[in-house]
Amino acid sequence: MAFQLLLNFFLAYIWMFLSNDYSSLAFFKGYFFGALILFFLRRFFKQRFYLLNVMAVIKLFFLFCSELVKANIGVVKVVLSPKLSMQPAIFALETDLEKDWEITLLSNLITLTPGTLVIEVSEDNKTLYIHAMDIDDVEQAKLDIKNSFEKAIKEVSR
Amino acid sequence: MKTNDLILQTATKVVVFIIILFSWHLFFSGHYTPGGGFIGGLLTSGAIVLLLLAFDLKTVLAFLPIDYIKMTATGLLIALLTGVGSFFFDAPFLTHTFSYVDLPILGTTSLATAVLFDLGVYLVVIGVTMTIIQTIGETE
Repeated sequence: MAFQLLLNFFLAYIWMFLSNDYSSLAFFKGYFFGALILFFLRRFFKQRFYLLNVMAVIKLFFLFCSELVKANIGVVKVVLSPKLSMQPAIFALETDLEKDWEITLLSNLITLTPGTLVIEVSEDNKTLYIHAMDIDDVEQAKLDIKNSFEKAIKEVSR
Repeated sequence: MKTNDLILQTATKVVVFIIILFSWHLFFSGHYTPGGGFIGGLLTSGAIVLLLLAFDLKTVLAFLPIDYIKMTATGLLIALLTGVGSFFFDAPFLTHTFSYVDLPILGTTSLATAVLFDLGVYLVVIGVTMTIIQTIGETE
């Protein structure tokens, strides 16, 4: 991804030199054409076309925003309900993520969406221990995290 | 004897992008400065020929799965349609026009229908050149 980004910047500057125009508009045009060429020759690289990764980052951001709003509404419901009927629990989540930054990102996302909180990461970086404030079904909660956050993070680092 | 083309291939991977960018620069500068669809198309096919020299026919076809005969047909169709388009405005065949349009980001740009005709030429030139070279390359 980094190489493709660098090449795209390089092509944008070459475009500026070719058209003898050093405005930001010329840079934009060159960047656009460079991205187009990179798209046509995307099979050249071992990684996929890098703008897809950029799209995945944006998607992850919006996923986080919507989850944050939903989870906070859930917490408000628990706080305002007259009876204390919630069921706290601690459960283990096996993660497929491997790189350090991916695990950090996943645990931060889990912590920042209220209702769940990462307590500890196991020694071999394979298991996250998560405290949930109100939980009916552990398997369901695991599946939710796996399908939303973990999938989105995998999409970014692919 | 089969030699290792590592250096050629690695250099090609960067140089091809620069050549195609230059060919597009020529293509777009064709209205006021030397350049245009023909030389732009030739230079783009030159870049693909460089790919063919560095890699082999099958690899390049896997990288760029393009049917060049269809590309030629598309180019001819675009050129024809820009000519036919003038009939809708009570103008003779192949009459060209231009206007200044306010585009987002790009600002005021003069858009000429001649560019569409040039695009047709560009596609035909790439299609014909690559068809010639590939059919010669395929025959043993």
